[in-house]
Amino acid sequence: MTLNDIDEHEINVFVDAVVQYFLQITGQKAEVRAAYLAAGETLPPTSEFTGVIKISGDYRGCIYFSADRFLLSRLLLAMNETKHTDDQLLDAVGEIANTLAGNARRHFGEKMEVSIPLTMHGTEAKSLQHMVRARPYVIMVRWKQYEASMIVDIRHDKQ
Amino acid sequence: MKLLIVDDSSIIRGRIARILSDPRLPEIRIIGMARNGVEAVGLSQQFKPELVTMDLTMPEMDGVECTEAIATLNPKVNILIISALSDKATAIKALKKGAKGFLYKPFTDEQLIQAFLEMID
Repeated sequence: MTLNDIDEHEINVFVDAVVQYFLQITGQKAEVRAAYLAAGETLPPTSEFTGVIKISGDYRGCIYFSADRFLLSRLLLAMNETKHTDDQLLDAVGEIANTLAGNARRHFGEKMEVSIPLTMHGTEAKSLQHMVRARPYVIMVRWKQYEASMIVDIRHDKQ
Repeated sequence: MKLLIVDDSSIIRGRIARILSDPRLPEIRIIGMARNGVEAVGLSQQFKPELVTMDLTMPEMDGVECTEAIATLNPKVNILIISALSDKATAIKALKKGAKGFLYKPFTDEQLIQAFLEMID
């Protein structure tokens, strides 16, 4: 059993998912500010709130979405949600991560199994290690004046 | 019409509940909100909803299994799957287990209203 890389086209599945997410919820697309391969042993700096989806089945690894409270609060306002407690913001970041990973199954199929979201607040996400890729893909997005990041650390698990 | 909302996200549960005030929708009364499939089956046995919105990726019992359990309890129930899992195989599996409709996350308010209108037509 070997773990194989996913290609540029497959990374674009995640780029499209995050851009479309903001468009669908707010009517305004997120702009991809940068996409690069992370270096170093830990994941790149993440924001205050992070949602993590574990990937299993024919693929292995994790997908992360991370944003600060200002972006998440604005997204909640776009959904007419007026409560913006830390618990609500954690729920929001987990739901976004879940949605982005779930949407990717349109391309990858049901054999890319997605977990329920794990959520992290504050510095918890700062020491996360790479799961399966030496250099995970980092997609930085800007929506209005706010920034968020999506990290794709998955590989195809070919028999 | 009695509605049960099933989703592990409180934000999604709240959002669905708020959309019910749209004047195009008939009177829909929320009889319960569940965070997982086990809670949903319990509430279904107790309150016998006519309409259910169902997430798929949930702890304890997932939405496909829960759909089957609720549809077995009441074959006439209208179950609308609301999920981010966008592959065709998952949608087909849920429909085979008794769901009547499927709405992909992320959804707009208008898409949910239209999905409700189609379900109760």
